[in-house]
Amino acid sequence: MKRKMRVLASIFALTLALSSLAACGDSTKKEANPPTPSDTGSKTNVSADAKDTITALLPPVSSEYQNNFPQMEKDFNALYPNLTLKIEPASWEDMTQKLDTQVNAGSPPDIAFIGSDGISKYMQQDMLMDITDTATKEMVEDYDKVPLEYMKNGTGLYGFPAYMEIHALGGNREFLEKAGIDWKKVQKEGWTFDEFREAIKKGVVSEGGKTSRYGFVFATAGVTSKDYLGILIKNAGMPSPFTSDLKYAYTSKNFLEVLKDIRAMIDDGSMPKELSSIDAGKRWNMFLTGQTMITGKGLATFENSANKNNAKIEANDGSAVKGSIKVQYTVLPVPTFAGEKMQASAAVDGYVTFRGKKEPTAEHKANVVKAAYFLASGKVAASTNNDLFVAHITASGKKAAESMPVTRDEFNKAAVETMLAQAAPARPDIPTDLGAKAIKLEDEVIVPKLQALISGEMTPDAMYEAVKTAAIQTFGEDGVVK
Amino acid sequence: MTQLAKPIKRRRIKGDGAWGYAFIAVALVIFAMFTAYPVVSAFIISFQKYKPLGSTFVGFDNYIVTFKDALFWKSVVNTVVYTLLTVPVGLFISFAVAIMILPLRKKLQTTFKAVYYLPAVASGVALSVVWLWIYDPLPSGIFNQLLNFFGISNQNWLGSSATAMFSLVLMAWLSSHGTSIIIYLAALLGIDDSYYEAAELDGASFMKKLWYIVIPCLKPTTLFLLVTGVIGSFQVFQNAYLMTGGGPDNATTMVGLLIFNNAFKYFEFGKAAAQSLILAAIIAGIALAQFKFLGNDVEY
Repeated sequence: MKRKMRVLASIFALTLALSSLAACGDSTKKEANPPTPSDTGSKTNVSADAKDTITALLPPVSSEYQNNFPQMEKDFNALYPNLTLKIEPASWEDMTQKLDTQVNAGSPPDIAFIGSDGISKYMQQDMLMDITDTATKEMVEDYDKVPLEYMKNGTGLYGFPAYMEIHALGGNREFLEKAGIDWKKVQKEGWTFDEFREAIKKGVVSEGGKTSRYGFVFATAGVTSKDYLGILIKNAGMPSPFTSDLKYAYTSKNFLEVLKDIRAMIDDGSMPKELSSIDAGKRWNMFLTGQTMITGKGLATFENSANKNNAKIEANDGSAVKGSIKVQYTVLPVPTFAGEKMQASAAVDGYVTFRGKKEPTAEHKANVVKAAYFLASGKVAASTNNDLFVAHITASGKKAAESMPVTRDEFNKAAVETMLAQAAPARPDIPTDLGAKAIKLEDEVIVPKLQALISGEMTPDAMYEAVKTAAIQTFGEDGVVK
Repeated sequence: MTQLAKPIKRRRIKGDGAWGYAFIAVALVIFAMFTAYPVVSAFIISFQKYKPLGSTFVGFDNYIVTFKDALFWKSVVNTVVYTLLTVPVGLFISFAVAIMILPLRKKLQTTFKAVYYLPAVASGVALSVVWLWIYDPLPSGIFNQLLNFFGISNQNWLGSSATAMFSLVLMAWLSSHGTSIIIYLAALLGIDDSYYEAAELDGASFMKKLWYIVIPCLKPTTLFLLVTGVIGSFQVFQNAYLMTGGGPDNATTMVGLLIFNNAFKYFEFGKAAAQSLILAAIIAGIALAQFKFLGNDVEY
């Protein structure tokens, strides 16, 4: 009995040890075997009609997006009977971590849905797949030119865009009107910082030294402060961290002007002094509960969220945001600074194409392009973009959307279209290493100093000097704007 | 030959030593895979510029860059400050709670042990969300309501460099004592009653018994908790990552967070590996110093 127990214990122990080894299998070895539908992302030699599987890692782009995955897989297979689209769903929280892990292990999915600003990050790892020579003329011509440019780096094209979204501001229409703000004029013509500053001062409601409503609240906790500065400086003549002659732009005097204005809005009492701790969820709650007149950043889909909450309030539904009031969400442009023209901050997200450790075959590459185009155009793009209230950027998507009615505020729709026409252009000419240096400078110097500026622990001049010094250290005296 | 071979084979199967080696082998394989291999791998990567398609050897560049990096040294200082504030106070709180629980009836003692251990079972992310709610910077925040009650204006707990580090320290003080309390309680129960009886005969007060019996008898336990506490504190990552992201102005950037950022945000695995090994060396140095200066008269 004693011996049997020992043998049994040994078997259990061995199983434990072997099961931990199972995770260490080398997926690249699969490439020596014939391709099968489960052979994810196989980079084997396959003919044009041979069976192949394309893998895609996709987050919940819209509320209905992930529910449509089985139908999307079925539709793709009906279109290309020899191809299988295998979609791996991921939450927004897990998306970056999952993708980063797979990229660094050398086995990324064929397609991943990410922001176009992530392209330079994965370019550094040499793990992106250039589809310039594989994307057909019809595919390329289906897209609006500006968003497609965002999917490029240098001369390479690294996927297809899904949408181009404007990062704007959002106002409570009732409060705007009470404050005497001609929001229709602002939507059409924009506003300067001085006009905006006066407007948000009028939106403040205080009693007994306590503020019950602020004029403007923007999420700035942690990394969201990057969005705040990024959106503002585009309208201060700096649409990109680099000028057209590749000099670092955030050392210009306009940058200092924006910093001074950021501080002025807090010192005026138009923004909370605790702004540095207000995250995206908190400021949206403040907007819906009437604690702020204007919020940022504002996305088109927020109109949809506000409408849904209004419906819940009307239906006396307990799942409405606690303490919320009915809000008519109004799209507003970001003010301009230092006399510069309006250049809306655009976010282009899309289906980026990756490669594995081994060079993909021409056939597999063509199949990945087919899958990426299928996801980023036509019916799939139309229904996803409608869910998000964002503009369609493909001719095929626009056509498919004709049969999908969307209830949207006409003024907001027109305001977004005006801003789309003024969107900051893509900068595929910025070399990857220069872009990576700018991102690090932003993360290690600009964002921390901005947090200190917003908290009132640093002056705009001190922050400007700190950024300038770090920029000169990084790019050299001649590599920055003077 | 056959006759000679047989007894050897039998001895191998029947010998307790062989079974011992078999069982150790499992732990050894797991240790080799999940501890030794990553350490060796990190050592190699620390001399490379890592890329999935092929890394390049860069010599000591990653170490030189790290030693010249002001943010690295700032994060080391932050980590030391955090450790100095959390570990000794944390140990004192655990010890005090264990002393208070000790005289209670067994059922009540178990209840308290379970209550204090509960945060260790809860997910760190869930705890952080609760603490973020407590530290809400607006006047409606829990702590701010408490301050307002005493006529003090609301504080930007995590958003100001004056309070951000203290907020993380306070969070550590008020949670994660479960393991230490249980270890201290086990050690307290291990002290022979005859010591207390003799002290009582001599008319010793509670404080005298604490000073001359309890504290000396618990010295090995305290040393163990101190060493493991310092090691754990130097590796702190989760609190800063979830609560402050290292801000404001890097006031709460710890070495662990910096390593994470370099590896997974910027894909600078070589630099991150070099920083990890420097951190390991710092921790090893401190642990050795603790054993040398505090462990001389400890008997196990």
